[in-house]
Amino acid sequence: MAQSQVSVDLPGVAGVPRSLSDRPVFVRAGVHIWRFITGKPLGAFGALLILIVLFAAIFADQIQRYDPNQTFTKPNPAYDPELAAQALVDPTVRLQHPPEVFEEGGVLNRLGKPSSQNWLGTDHLGRDLWSRIVHGSRTAVIVGFGASLIAVTLGVIVGLASAYFGGSFDFMIQRIVDTLQAFPPLILLLLFNQVVADPTLYWITISLGLLGIAQVVRIVRSSVLSTREEVYVMAARTIGASDTRIMARHIFPNITAPIIVVFTSTIGVYILAEATLGFLGLSDPTRPSWGKMVEEGRRQGTGEPLMALFVGGALTLTVLGFNLAGDALRDVLDPRLRGRGGRPGF
Amino acid sequence: MRTYILRRVIINIPVIWLVATLVFFATNVLPGDFVAQRIAQQDPTGGSDPALRERQIQAVKKDLGLDDPVPVRYVKYLRNLLKGDFGISYQTRRSSIEGLKDGLPYSLQLATMSLIVAILTSIPVGVISAIRQDSIPDYILRFLSILFLAAPNFWVATMAMLYVAQWGLWKIPVSQAPLLWEDPIGSLKLFIIPAVVGGLATGAGIMRLLRSQMLEVLRQDYIRTAWAKGMRERTVVVRHALKNALVPVVTIIGLSVATLLSGNVVLEQLFGIPGVGRQIVVAIQARDVPVVQSFVLIVATFVVFVNLGVDLVYGLLDPRIRYS
Repeated sequence: MAQSQVSVDLPGVAGVPRSLSDRPVFVRAGVHIWRFITGKPLGAFGALLILIVLFAAIFADQIQRYDPNQTFTKPNPAYDPELAAQALVDPTVRLQHPPEVFEEGGVLNRLGKPSSQNWLGTDHLGRDLWSRIVHGSRTAVIVGFGASLIAVTLGVIVGLASAYFGGSFDFMIQRIVDTLQAFPPLILLLLFNQVVADPTLYWITISLGLLGIAQVVRIVRSSVLSTREEVYVMAARTIGASDTRIMARHIFPNITAPIIVVFTSTIGVYILAEATLGFLGLSDPTRPSWGKMVEEGRRQGTGEPLMALFVGGALTLTVLGFNLAGDALRDVLDPRLRGRGGRPGF
Repeated sequence: MRTYILRRVIINIPVIWLVATLVFFATNVLPGDFVAQRIAQQDPTGGSDPALRERQIQAVKKDLGLDDPVPVRYVKYLRNLLKGDFGISYQTRRSSIEGLKDGLPYSLQLATMSLIVAILTSIPVGVISAIRQDSIPDYILRFLSILFLAAPNFWVATMAMLYVAQWGLWKIPVSQAPLLWEDPIGSLKLFIIPAVVGGLATGAGIMRLLRSQMLEVLRQDYIRTAWAKGMRERTVVVRHALKNALVPVVTIIGLSVATLLSGNVVLEQLFGIPGVGRQIVVAIQARDVPVVQSFVLIVATFVVFVNLGVDLVYGLLDPRIRYS
């Protein structure tokens, strides 16, 4: 990252300025983070959004204001105390008016406006929207990180082996990757979830991860192809290191930068894919999913756009966070793209 | 050049075969039985007699050609494919291609309109953003593009529907979906919002790529030469810079043509456009295996050849790229 040695004000041994690498590790980490924040403000903003979502997902039970399934009531607007008092004396009054006039109890607060009780209002079943959104972040985080982890783990193994061994094995793997990339992804996902009968969150995560392998294999393969020819790899082979050892100890540590970049920047894609499935009514029915909530909001018609607006806003900000952070990481970590065309874009 | 094309085409053949194989086994071997499900839905006796139910299932399977073991069916399927026979739809009993053909004009119209919106917005925006780097317009345009990349298209479409309809500017035509040459005004009314939503999302990606390409090209020596010759800004930007920056952009446009053609499932579903995407969702839900198989196969073949086409266009746009 920052190989340049920046002199720090503190004098070191015999008045020679101390380099950053002499400082304790947390100071170094702090300096790097500070440089990231000042050098990449948009990336830092993305990282902040990610931290907020992670915080919401981990502490959902603490920061929720109500149980996500608790329903809210509001006073019955049709209640008429005078008529109700009359009805106690004269029962025939009840027959002349609709029944809700006499009920003092509340009715379900469907699609309530934002208030101090419900910060973002209530959804179509009278549940607190803020709590629903906070719990929906759990689904998004599980799918995003889970699928990305599966895709990166398997993709790195396959891509490393494919590029390292080359030859007909590489050719075969590349044709399989071509095949996976030629499939229309959403259709394959729909098919997969129809086949497994009841789409639980874990099935969706696994299928998304498997679909993502192809892209990771591509990226890992191209990095390995150049690393493979390095002198230190040849040196390792000369002293008799095994193939597995060369791959794990000599090549893998040198391709971590693109791996980290692809890991971060695809999380947003998986979150979007899960939300799209939810919107099409194919997500895990037992969990609050942002995509499903947008669809529920849409069904309420043109008069009540607030629910779809808030939920979609949360989804967009989350994906935005991962995109921004992924792009900033790419600028910082990926030397092939660093410094292209003056100041790198976001 | 000719040997290069030939080699690429030959490499594509195993890919298409793999696609066919994968989709065949995905739809046939994994659990979930179309016939048993269908009969369970339609049998009035409710399956009280298991032997009778078994006979019914066998009869239907024989009728649909599903009574052979899977390997035999696989060989048969491949042989039929070579003859150009994609199988018969379980739902309509017509050739499985026929049903998709009905939806194709709608998907094509949506795809073309989206792509026009995408190109019309992304190319000027990308160029302006690059030649006025780090100015206020650049920041605003970049922010908008990054926002459109992050916002899911179903949400943007929902918001467009809810708010535009609320302001009374637009009504969702629910009754019918006319094509452009059948009823131009009615068709535009239906397609304009999904096309803009789909187009802006694609355009945001193209714009970001074009901007970074332009920034790179604008720092080349020949651009400085062009400026030094005293050429007008428009000539330098359009003739010298844009033409060279467009090379990688062509890839993205080519790939988005391929994905747009496979029908935009979400937008078609939302706006009630009877395109390919919606038909395929119906087919998947009904477990209409032949329709799904032929659809995936056609789209995948198309994508593979679009990729080849894109590589060849590269050579035309940039003569430095030579194929051996």
